[in-house]
Amino acid sequence: MTAPAPSVVFLGVRHHSPACARLVARTIDELRPAYVLVEGPADMNDRLDELLLGHELPVAVFSHYRDAERTATSWTPLCDYSPEWVALTHGRACGAEVRFIDLPAWHPAFAERTNRYADAEARYEEATRRLSRKFSVDSVDALWDRLFEVEDDAGLAERLDTYFRLVRGDTRAGGGDRDREAYMAAWVRAAMARAGSRPVLVVTGGFHQPALRALADDEQHRDRTAADGTATGGTATGGGSGKGPAGRETAGKGSTGNGSAGGSEWPDVPVPAEEALAGSFLVPYSFRQLDAFAGYQSGMPSPGYYQQVWEEGPKSAAHTLLRAVAERLRARSYPVSTADLIAARTLTEGLGALRGHPVPARIDVLDGLAGALIKDDLDQPLPWTRRGTIGEGTHPAVVEMVSVCGGDRAGRLHPATPAPPLVHDVAAQLARWKLDSDSTATLDLSSPADLDRSRVLHRLRVLGIPGRVRVLGPEHGADPVFTERWEPRPAPGRDAALVEAGAHGAGLAEAAATVLTDRMRSADGHAQTLAGALFDAVLCGVTELTEPLLELLAGRVRAVREPGPLGEVLGTALGLWRHDRVYGVARSALLASVVDGAVTRILWLLEGSRGPSGVDFARLGAVVAVRDALLHAAPLLSVPRTVAAAVAHRIAQDREAPVDLRGAAFGLHRVLAALPDEDEAESRGDADTGKGAETAAEEGPSPQDGAAAVQAAAGIATLGDWLAGLFAVAREDVTTGASEGRSETSLIDVLDVMVDEMSEPDFLVALPALRQAFGFFPPRERERIAQRLLERRGVRGSARSLLRTGAHPALIARARSLEETVTRLLDHHGLRAAR
Amino acid sequence: MTTDTGSTVRGPGRKAPRARKDSSQRQEQLQRPPAEVRYAQELAALRSGDGDHRPPGWELSLRAARRFIIGDEDAGISRKFVGNPSLVDRALVTLATNRGLMLVGEPGTAKSLLSELIAAAVSGVSTLTVQGGAATTEDQIKYGWNYALLVSEGPSPRSLVPAPMLRGMAEGRLVRFEEITRCPLEVQDSLLSLLSERVVAIPELSGPDGMVFAQQGFNVIATANTRDRGVNEMSAALKRRFNFETVFPIPDADTELALVEAEVVTLLERSGVTAPPDRDVLEVLVGTFRELRAGTADSGSATDRTSAVMSTAEAVAVAHAVGVRGWFLRGEPGSAADVVACLAGTAAKDSPEDLARLRRHLEQQAGRHRGPHWKALYDARHLLAD
Repeated sequence: MTAPAPSVVFLGVRHHSPACARLVARTIDELRPAYVLVEGPADMNDRLDELLLGHELPVAVFSHYRDAERTATSWTPLCDYSPEWVALTHGRACGAEVRFIDLPAWHPAFAERTNRYADAEARYEEATRRLSRKFSVDSVDALWDRLFEVEDDAGLAERLDTYFRLVRGDTRAGGGDRDREAYMAAWVRAAMARAGSRPVLVVTGGFHQPALRALADDEQHRDRTAADGTATGGTATGGGSGKGPAGRETAGKGSTGNGSAGGSEWPDVPVPAEEALAGSFLVPYSFRQLDAFAGYQSGMPSPGYYQQVWEEGPKSAAHTLLRAVAERLRARSYPVSTADLIAARTLTEGLGALRGHPVPARIDVLDGLAGALIKDDLDQPLPWTRRGTIGEGTHPAVVEMVSVCGGDRAGRLHPATPAPPLVHDVAAQLARWKLDSDSTATLDLSSPADLDRSRVLHRLRVLGIPGRVRVLGPEHGADPVFTERWEPRPAPGRDAALVEAGAHGAGLAEAAATVLTDRMRSADGHAQTLAGALFDAVLCGVTELTEPLLELLAGRVRAVREPGPLGEVLGTALGLWRHDRVYGVARSALLASVVDGAVTRILWLLEGSRGPSGVDFARLGAVVAVRDALLHAAPLLSVPRTVAAAVAHRIAQDREAPVDLRGAAFGLHRVLAALPDEDEAESRGDADTGKGAETAAEEGPSPQDGAAAVQAAAGIATLGDWLAGLFAVAREDVTTGASEGRSETSLIDVLDVMVDEMSEPDFLVALPALRQAFGFFPPRERERIAQRLLERRGVRGSARSLLRTGAHPALIARARSLEETVTRLLDHHGLRAAR
Repeated sequence: MTTDTGSTVRGPGRKAPRARKDSSQRQEQLQRPPAEVRYAQELAALRSGDGDHRPPGWELSLRAARRFIIGDEDAGISRKFVGNPSLVDRALVTLATNRGLMLVGEPGTAKSLLSELIAAAVSGVSTLTVQGGAATTEDQIKYGWNYALLVSEGPSPRSLVPAPMLRGMAEGRLVRFEEITRCPLEVQDSLLSLLSERVVAIPELSGPDGMVFAQQGFNVIATANTRDRGVNEMSAALKRRFNFETVFPIPDADTELALVEAEVVTLLERSGVTAPPDRDVLEVLVGTFRELRAGTADSGSATDRTSAVMSTAEAVAVAHAVGVRGWFLRGEPGSAADVVACLAGTAAKDSPEDLARLRRHLEQQAGRHRGPHWKALYDARHLLAD
C-alpha cells in the first residue's frame, strides 16, 4: 500500500533578506506545513523555546568549541527580517513543528567560517560577476536589490529559484558544504516520512536549495522505483512530490550519523568528542556586527536600512534613509541645502527609473545623495559600488551615509535567558583567585599566583566589565614597576556587561583575546593604538595567537606611517621579546611578528623620510630600535642584514634626506658592516645581483669614509644634526676608535680639524647642535674623547678638567666678550703691540 | 543668433557638423574620428530600437545611452567604458536634471572619453567642446565677433561668432568643458548665470537676438583632473551647480591587464614589432603601476604614491616602449629588465623625488613578490637610470 506523498516545498533564501522573509511568512500561511525545517544549528533544537522567550533582536546563537587540536567560535545571527527567524516564529505560530537541520557550528564543516549566514555568494564569485555584468550593476548586493528587494513580490519564488540555479550552476560544493547538504537532506527525508500527506517546508540558503532538492529527488526516485509507484510531478516551487512509501529510504549517505533505516527518525545530532568543550548559547548581537561595511565575514550591508524595509517597505525605507542622512550630515555641520536635497531626491528617482526599479532601492538613494551632496573629488570609491569594508580615506560624508544605513540597533536578551558560559567562568575564576571580595588587591607581578590574578583582572578590564580599577602598575613594556594595585569601584550594569561580553567567547581568556584581536584590527595605521593593544595582550597573558592574527598584526604594523611611534613599539616589543621574565612573553611569536613587521616597515619609512633640518629624536629612536633588532634578533627578521645595510647606505648618501637621519643611517651602516657576517653565504646569493647590496657588503666603511662622509654630508650649520644622528646610533663605535688610539685618522680627529677651522661666528652657529650631539655621550665617554683631543695636541693634562668648567658658562662668556672688547679697543687706538 | 535656430550653424571652422555631414567620405582620412562617427552604426541601431522615453532634447533614452556606453553584447554594442556601471547611471541621470556634470579624477582615467561618449549618445555630437587652459577666455566659451563684419555692419547676428556654449544652448545639446579647473577662476565663473538662468545675454544685440535661451537638451559636462589644480579652488557657487563624479582607475586588475594587453598588441603591430608582448611581463608592469598608483603594496603595506600619473594609458605607453626595446635591441619580446629601464622615463618623468620613490619601491617592495618575473624585476633594479 502507498501513503499519499508529502509535498515538500524547498525555499531557497538569502540570509538577511526582507523579501525572502516575507516569502517565508506567506508560504507558511498558504501551505500550513506540518514541519518547517530551517538551516540552523541542530544542537539548538532542544532549546528552541529559549530563542522564543521574547528577545529584542538582533541576537545570535554563539557556538564555541575547543579540543586538543583546534578551537572555533561561530555566530548564527538572527534579526527581525531573517527568513530563518520568520520561519521559526511564524512556523511555530501556525502550529508547525520547527526544526533546525544544519550541522552544529563546531562541526569541522564550518572550519573556516565564523558566521553561519555569511553570504555564500562570495564563494561563487565568478557566477555572480557574470550576472552583475549582464545586468550592468556594480556588485551582487545591487543585483540582489534590483531583482528581489524592490521588485513586486509576485513571482518572487520562481525568480529566486532561477537566480540560485544560475548562480550555483554546476559548481560542485566544497567539502564542508557537501557534508552539510547531505546532513540537511537526511532531515528532509525524515520530515517527509513523518509528515505523511501533510506538507513540509524547507528554508535554507539559496545555494543549498538546488542541491537539497536534487538529493531529496534522488531518494524519492529510488523510492518510486522500489515501490513501482507513479510520479505525479512536482509543484512549481516544490522540488517534486512523488508517490512512494516514505519509510523505505536506504540509510542516509551523509558523512555524519543521519537518519536511521526507519526513515522517520530524526537524524542524530553529532555530539562533540568526549574531551572537547563545546556549547551553543544566545548572546545579544548588534547591527554594527552585522554590517558588511564595518565587520568581516558577515556579508550583509546596511542592516538598519533593511530593518526599515522589513517594517515599512522599500518605499518608506528610501524616504527614511534620505531624511536620516540629511539630518545626520547637518548635525555634523556638513552643508546640506534644500536645493541639494531636491537634487538628491531627483537623482534618486531618476536612477531608480533608469535602473528599472519600481521603487528606489538602497543604492539609488545612496547614489543620489552622493551625487548631489559631495562637491569634492573622492580618494576612495563609493563603498556600495563594491563588496567589503570601508577603505581608509573614504569621504566623511560617505562614511556618515554608510553609518546611517548600518543603524545602531543592539539586541537585548530576555532576562530569563540562560547566562552564557563566560558569566560562570568569570565567577569561578574570581572565586578561585579570591578576587570576589570588595577589597583592594595589591599584586606582586613577580609572584606567579599574583601574575595570574593580575591577568584575570586585566582581562575583565579589556572586556569592559566594571568592578575594579587599576590605580598603580606598569604603564608600558619598559616600565620597571612590578606592583599593581586594583581598587574596587561601584559596578552598575556589571551583569549586563558580562552577558554582552559573552558574545566574545566562552572563557575569559578567549573573550579577551577576541576583543584584543578586534582592537588590533581597528588600529589602522595608529602606532599608539597598536602599542596599547599589544601591551594589553601581554598584560592579559593572551600571547598564544593564531596564524591569521599574526598576519593581521603584521599587516597593521605595515600600515603605520610615522617611523617615530613605530620605533617605540619596536623598542618595547624587542625589549620584552629579549628580556621579559615578568609576563612570561620572552620569545613569544606575537612579539616576534611585531618585531619583524616593524623593522621592515621602519626601513621603508626611513628611506622615504623628507623634512626640515633639526634633530627628530623619535625618528632617531626608530633607527636605534632597528639597529637593536638587527643585532639581537636577526633570526626573526625577514630582512637580511645586507639589505638593511644597503638601505642605510642609500639614506646616508641621499642628499634629500634629513641630515640627522643621514648621520644615523651612516652610523647604522657602520655598525652593520662591523659585524661578523654569519649569514654571509646566504646573503651573498642575494647580494650579487644588486649593486646597492654589493657596495654595502664589500665596502665596510673605514674611519676615512667617516671623515669623508662628515665633510660631504654636513656643512657647518648642519654638522651638529648629522653628528646627533650618528652618535645616537653608533656612539660606541666612535669612542672605541678614539680610546684605542688607532693610527689612522679617526672620526674624532676629523671633527677636531673641522671645529678648529671654524671661524668664530661659524662656531657659534654650530655650537648648540654640537652640544646636543655630544649630549648622547655619557660623561665617562666624553672624558675619553677629551683625552684623545689632548693627546692630539700633545698636551698632558686632566681630561676631566676639560669637561668641568670652574665657573658658570655665562660668566666665562662675559669674560670672553670683555676680552674681545678690550682687544678691539687696543687695535682701534693703535696699541696692537700691547696685546 | 536667435533662440529658434536649432540647426543653422554659423561661424567658420566648426568641425562638428562637417565631420557629420561628409563623414562617409572623409572618415578614413581622420586620425581619430569623433565618437559619433566611430560608432555611427551602433548609435543608429540604438536609436531605431529605442522604445523608452527620452528626456526632452535627447537623441537617446537614458537606458539606450547607458547601453551605448557600457555595452550590450547581445545587441552587438561594444563595451566602451570599463568603470563601474553605476557611475554611468549617475552621470546620465544628472545630465537629465538641471545640474551640470563634473567628472573629476586622476589624469588618464578616461574622463574625456566618458564625456565624449555621453555627449555622442545624448546629443549625437561630441565636438561642442571648450578646452580649458590658462589662456581660455570668455570669448571661447560664449561668443566672439567676426571683426571684419563687425566693423562694416556693426553688431548683428551675422557678425557674431558663437562659441560652443552658445551653440549648445541654442541647439539644445551637451557641451563638454575639458579641464575646467585649468581656466582662470573668473572665466570659470562666467558659467554661473549660464547654468542657473540658462540664458546668455548678448548686450551688443538688441531685440530678441539679445538673449539666447537654452533649449531642452542643453547641459554641461566638465572634466577636471586632481593633479594640476584640484576642484578645491573652484568657487562654491559654481560647485553648487554641478554634481561631482569621481572617475577611478580601473578597479579590477584583470580588466586592466586585459585592456593594456589589447592596446599594446595593436601599438606594437603598428610599430612593426612582430613578437607579441609576454603576458607575465605585462602582469609585472601593470602590478607595479597599480601599486605605485594606489600607494599600497601587494602585501597590504602603505607605500608612497608617485606624483607622476600612473594611469592605464601610461602603462600602455611603457609596455609599448618595453616591447619596442626588446624587439629592436635583441629581437625578442620585452623582459622585466626592460620594464625597469623604461619605468624611469614615465613613472619618474623629470622629478628626482619620484625617481627616489621608484627606486625605493623596487628595492624594498618588488623583492617581496613571488614569481620569476618579479624576481627578474628586482634583480634588474640597478638599471634604473640616475
